Amino acid sequence: MKSPILKLGPNLIVSLNSEMTDSDLLELQAVLVAEVGRFRSKGVILEVTTLEVMDSFAARTLRNLAQAVGLRGAQAVIVGIRPEVALAMVQLGLEQRLSGVHTVLDLEEALGVLNREKAEVDPQ
Amino acid sequence: MTGESEANGKSSLMFEMGITEREIAQRKAFLEFGETDIAALTGIHDLAQQYANPVIEAFYRHLLAFDETREFFRDAKVLEKVRNLQRSYFLDLTGGEYGEAYVENRLKIGAIHEKIGLPVKSYLGMYNFYLRSVADRLFAAYQDAPSEALKAYQALLKVVFLDIGLSIDTYIQQREQLIRTQRDAIRELPTPVLQVRERLLILPVVGELETHRARQLTEQLLNSISSTRAKVAIVDITGVPLVDSKVANHLLQTVSAARLMGATVILTGLSSQIAQALVAIGVDLSEVKTTVDLQSGLEEAEALLGYHLLPPAERSRPT
Amino acid sequence: MTESVRVAIGSDIDIVRARQQVRTLAKEVGFTSSELTLIVTALSELARNIVEYARSGEIILDQICQGTRRGLSITARDGGPGIADIDLAMRDGYSSGKGLGLGLPGTKRLMDDFEITSEVGHGTQVKVTKWTH
Repeated sequence: MKSPILKLGPNLIVSLNSEMTDSDLLELQAVLVAEVGRFRSKGVILEVTTLEVMDSFAARTLRNLAQAVGLRGAQAVIVGIRPEVALAMVQLGLEQRLSGVHTVLDLEEALGVLNREKAEVDPQ
Repeated sequence: MTGESEANGKSSLMFEMGITEREIAQRKAFLEFGETDIAALTGIHDLAQQYANPVIEAFYRHLLAFDETREFFRDAKVLEKVRNLQRSYFLDLTGGEYGEAYVENRLKIGAIHEKIGLPVKSYLGMYNFYLRSVADRLFAAYQDAPSEALKAYQALLKVVFLDIGLSIDTYIQQREQLIRTQRDAIRELPTPVLQVRERLLILPVVGELETHRARQLTEQLLNSISSTRAKVAIVDITGVPLVDSKVANHLLQTVSAARLMGATVILTGLSSQIAQALVAIGVDLSEVKTTVDLQSGLEEAEALLGYHLLPPAERSRPT
Repeated sequence: MTESVRVAIGSDIDIVRARQQVRTLAKEVGFTSSELTLIVTALSELARNIVEYARSGEIILDQICQGTRRGLSITARDGGPGIADIDLAMRDGYSSGKGLGLGLPGTKRLMDDFEITSEVGHGTQVKVTKWTH
């Protein structure tokens, strides 16, 4: 199941859900990397609050996505990894794979992180 | 007989206390309780029936003569009820049936006395009174055949000691059960999750932190982070006497999971022994923020919260 | 009460379907929500291994009862190329394909019991079990 990409000012927001297949995830990665260029976005917020499982494929795709949008000038932030999902990821040994990606508790904090980022980059 | 033990099934005291058929046989063997004893006991069964009432009368007179034991038989109705039970108890001694049903019955009697709080010393005193009053009447009845009387009396001693062994075990069993329950209660003691200020949690862990409790702690901490949107959580283990590598790894996993969620965990109160032990067994806590005590943990947390809109990587970047 | 479910695995949509199936079954067994997540994650890894290395195979889910213990087992079976060196495949960080090489040892950590048999050229079977606590 695909998710709509929302544009909010300089940021793109997308929610991931449990029904997404591997192909959906890969497609999302491709679309987001393209959209970041089209809108000259500064941030990509990946909201995973309803995601019930994050396996090695999903973690790898999110990391690749974060690195790719990073190369195009945007910062990716993962929002709302569930407690039990976080624990499963750690036991699976995935936490190292996401070590370069910023993870935050909620949307408000994500926006805070991205705005601060922008303020630092932007001299005004 | 088998019908009864089957009906009791797995909920019987025997089952609870782990007294198997084999265990009963071993107890009897140790007392050298055998067929000749059973024959000797059934041989005096008629006599027992004849004297049951006077013996029990004397028995209760004795009990009621002492404040400590009188306490337990205040109620006339209760007294009447136990008197009847005592009579069947007395007659069972020479009944000739000493199998599973007998053992179960003896355990039940022991458990009842334990439950009402009758001290072991009174319990043993009551047995002694029984033996004395039976001995008097037995040797009087067998005046012409004292060796017969002695044989029967020795058989009675064996079966009474079998009973004593069983009832004392019920006392011990109940105490052990109590200790287990209390130990579990301590173990299950939930760790409070305290919100000190906005987005800052403190979990003071007190007591032994074994695997089950460590797992509980993890779930509690992660769920609290999620529900309170905590940015920093301090886990204080000043009150934890020992941390083994398993628990240490569990703490490590918890810290990593919290980080994935977007929160920082600070571990405080590692005693010098624990710190040295962890290093010795090769647990790597370098990825974890640790401070020596709660106070420095709080200072660290406040610093983190003050910076909380800046990702850690940004702090080291020259401006 | 004891139910066995077979899920054919041939594409990534089947992985999503198998995840939903195992969640339903595990819920019935009485696992906590964090245990549920561990089980679903393990299944996801096993199902993906099938798609990635063998293209197709099947997953069998069994609710099990042993004395007072209840559990759920996941058997992932394929007729793929097989694993030549299981010891190596069970090492953290080893990768034989595009994966992160965490599949098997990671899956083992998520579950209580782990069994693997594999024959080169004939396929692989992995059976994992989780017990309620």
